[in-house]
Amino acid sequence: MTAQNTLLRKAAPGDTGPRGPGARRPGRGFALFGRFRPAFVSPAVLLVAVLLYLPFVWTAWLSLTRYDGLGSPEFIGLDNYTRLLDDPALGTSIRNTLLWVLGTTVLPVGLGLLVAVLSYDVKGGGWYRLPFLLPYAMSGAGLGLVWGFILQPEGVANRFLGFLGMPGADTAFLSDGPENTIAMIVVWTWQQLGVNMLLFVVGLQSIPRAPIEAARIDGASGWRLFRHVIWPLMRPLTTVVFGLALVASLKTFDIVWVMTQGGPGRTSETLAVTMYRDVFVADEYGYGSAVAVLLTTVTGLASYLYMRRQIGKEDR
Amino acid sequence: MRVLRHAVLVLLGLVWLAPTYLIVGNALRPATEYDPADAMRPPTDFALFANIGEVWERTELGPSMLSSLLYSLVSPAAAVLLGALAGYAIVVLRLRRGFLWFMIIYGGSIFPFQMLLVPLFVGYSKTPLYDARSGMILIYTAISVPLAALVMRNFFGGIAVSIFEAARMDGASTFRIFWRIYLPLSWTAMAAVFILEFTFIWNDLLFGLTLTQSESTRPVMTELSALTTDVYAGTPVPVALAAGLVVSVPTVAVFLLTQRLFTRGLTLAQV
Amino acid sequence: MPSTRLRVTALTAGAAMLALAGCSGGDSAESKSELKLYNDKGAWSSYFDQMGAQSKQEIGLSMKPVGYTDEPSYTAFIKASFRTKVKPDLFTWQTGGRLEEIVRQNQVAETTDLWKQAIASGDLTQQLAKYYTIDGKQYCVPLNTAYWGMFYNKKIFAQHKLEPPKTWNDLMAIAETLKSKGQVPFHHTTPTSLFSFVWFEQLLAGTDPDLYERLGTGKASFTDPGVVRVMEQWKSMIDKGWFSNPGDKNDPADHFKSGKAAMVSSGTWFNTSMTQRGLKQGTDYGFFFIPNVNPALPRRSLIFESGPLCSLRRAPDREASMKYLKWWITPSAQEKWANSRGDVSGNPKVKVADPELSRITQEAADQQNRLVLRFFEAVPAPVLTAALDGLSGFLVKPDSYRKVLETIQKANEQYWKNAGS
Repeated sequence: MTAQNTLLRKAAPGDTGPRGPGARRPGRGFALFGRFRPAFVSPAVLLVAVLLYLPFVWTAWLSLTRYDGLGSPEFIGLDNYTRLLDDPALGTSIRNTLLWVLGTTVLPVGLGLLVAVLSYDVKGGGWYRLPFLLPYAMSGAGLGLVWGFILQPEGVANRFLGFLGMPGADTAFLSDGPENTIAMIVVWTWQQLGVNMLLFVVGLQSIPRAPIEAARIDGASGWRLFRHVIWPLMRPLTTVVFGLALVASLKTFDIVWVMTQGGPGRTSETLAVTMYRDVFVADEYGYGSAVAVLLTTVTGLASYLYMRRQIGKEDR
Repeated sequence: MRVLRHAVLVLLGLVWLAPTYLIVGNALRPATEYDPADAMRPPTDFALFANIGEVWERTELGPSMLSSLLYSLVSPAAAVLLGALAGYAIVVLRLRRGFLWFMIIYGGSIFPFQMLLVPLFVGYSKTPLYDARSGMILIYTAISVPLAALVMRNFFGGIAVSIFEAARMDGASTFRIFWRIYLPLSWTAMAAVFILEFTFIWNDLLFGLTLTQSESTRPVMTELSALTTDVYAGTPVPVALAAGLVVSVPTVAVFLLTQRLFTRGLTLAQV
Repeated sequence: MPSTRLRVTALTAGAAMLALAGCSGGDSAESKSELKLYNDKGAWSSYFDQMGAQSKQEIGLSMKPVGYTDEPSYTAFIKASFRTKVKPDLFTWQTGGRLEEIVRQNQVAETTDLWKQAIASGDLTQQLAKYYTIDGKQYCVPLNTAYWGMFYNKKIFAQHKLEPPKTWNDLMAIAETLKSKGQVPFHHTTPTSLFSFVWFEQLLAGTDPDLYERLGTGKASFTDPGVVRVMEQWKSMIDKGWFSNPGDKNDPADHFKSGKAAMVSSGTWFNTSMTQRGLKQGTDYGFFFIPNVNPALPRRSLIFESGPLCSLRRAPDREASMKYLKWWITPSAQEKWANSRGDVSGNPKVKVADPELSRITQEAADQQNRLVLRFFEAVPAPVLTAALDGLSGFLVKPDSYRKVLETIQKANEQYWKNAGS
């Protein structure tokens, strides 16, 4: 192999240990500039800690109080949390949030992968991908209007389903849960497929040819080639895509707020919507903060478990 | 097989284009001709500019678009830089407890943004950051850093350590290796993050509403949402859609431009 | 190797300097010539600008609106601003519980003298003062006043040879006629749950306005027989197919224009929606005040909404803010305000340009009307939230009305229990 190849060769599947020739010896050479390593991370850590973590600490404290935005918060201990356990709206909210996580993983991510795989090495692939990128690039302003129109009782969606002879052609999509959540997931898919597809394309186009050629010579093709050679090589990007989708779906807010505001009758709320509603609409800052803490904990845990699994597969 | 592949792509593409057609078609329609029962019919009159004119009259789109442009260009760039620095230290320099630091930075993405509004407002108001462009740039950078750190960390992780070792042997300083070797190698990943964050920040509403109040600092979505979300406004649908289109021009442009950059820049890796 | 360290430190220092140096938009002058008016009516920005230009001419103070479009975050923002040095010069708010809570915090500037003078000169009415009074003193001035009634499609009415109703029975007969000819009589509600209370308040205020007002002060229950009867009546109208589909997310004005619904109950500000769609008042559409359900009532219940324009006790420039409030209610200011938006005015002395609107303004000022505050402002915020949720659920599932009322009542009890403690 040429020097260039050695330099640029990325980890082949199965290479979980040290890369490159020779074992990793953390001591040698690294001690010299060890002192500077913190300096590289500190701007990022500082920024995130001050502007993101700190406000959350305030929120966590607020979750132990009763507060309506005026005057001073009144400390009430864990009352808000016990109230959470009894709240039926929260149950619906959690169910919807889980639906969002599932739906987002399957639809925008799954379909995005499909389109990426189908188009990444096709001539003129860029053109094929354009229709999927446009929804993501267009601002959300038209989204609520247009989809509200499509999903309306005598609208396009129902007519389409009727045309296909499928059941449910009469559905009042946005009027009842869980259909309204599912309908909104479809809308979300329309908008977000493009970005997932793009990231997958980046991942696919960046894998080196050599392992693929080698595997082809060994007789692998189609699905087997994909599952055993291509997919593992894409891991850096798939981690990003799934990590992003996981966090974003747990925090789903904007689209629900625009389309149904969590209604009607609170049937389409997600955890973030419940939190927003409790704080800003119902003026219950303390209770809403408890929901926020709950949501953050869930998101944090899920993120941590996912990242640990993904990054644990390489060496830390 | 090839035919099937193309067919599926075309079919899906057409399905995806339908709502886009609805948006564009109705944005072109004159404001007084919109009928919800008939929105799929192609417009007979071209009134896009009239609609845009309406939008321009009613809002301060001009200065707000400039502000948003500033935020959407500077913050992602800064975030990518900070994320790359962090990723570099964690993966290449093998910072001690690297995974912990990574999770701390990436963990910044778990917070629901709506909860940050009030404490940030109160905090900002005590400093010159409130209603200042620098304040907005800071918060936008902060929310973009976690994703940038994740992507850069992953990307750097895939580069062979031997590059680093070889450069060290040549006598380059740590920072120089970062700046001269790792950054240029990963510019496609950086570009991907940049585009995503550009779009996200461009479309931000809540932070803009809460942390600014002057024309010169307000981002574009705050102006736009007045038209589209208010029954009191009574805005006709074509005007609202036209507004949405105008506001989308930069993001669409960014996507179209960078499509070609992706395919070009990636051949480096295909050895 | 010092160069790396130096570079990084330089970077961070540079960023810090940027942060401190970046300053734009905020001025903390003692005496102001331009006031910032915070509002949650972002759509009215251009109208506010016009007022700013006018006020500059008339009293030397100009005004710039800072518009918000999301009402919940606007309310939170204003409340939070009281603790900071970024206080609004002027801001819009809501009457009812919301006004009370900030007055009790000692934040709002008193306007009792302003009101006394204005009532004496006829610019404001005593009936209106009731809603701006807390513990005997007045606060804020009315930003705008709008009345609620029924917009009707003149062409459809003409087609079926119908006239605006004088009594409730007339209205029911109109609905029957329209329905039998295949035309949906009434539009139900707007896309968001924000206005799901419209028919509820109209039916209740038209049946028993005292009960309606007692609901707002916690002296009545949502499960009272009077309220239940109203829901049953509403349900029967829905069952007869008199309403448009509530799942429909289109703007009511579009429905109206396309003939999907012959009548829409809305506030007089709805005119703006109509004119923007090329509909002309008088030829294409008309407006009438909805007659009482219960003909035995002494006066006609007239639902109105009035948003206050307030200034703070500790505003950056107290005098300037007060001066502005005083100017706002003068006839010349009100005239500009009403006419620029194409809406009525709360001041009967104002010359409203549009003859129809003028007629409405005069009719509303008639003593035969009993002003009833809109539901949105009449009940406390947590109760309102529960009510809006419940009613929006009722719209899609009319059979659930008993359960809906019970749920709202639970929230009602909870609120007044806490308020009392």
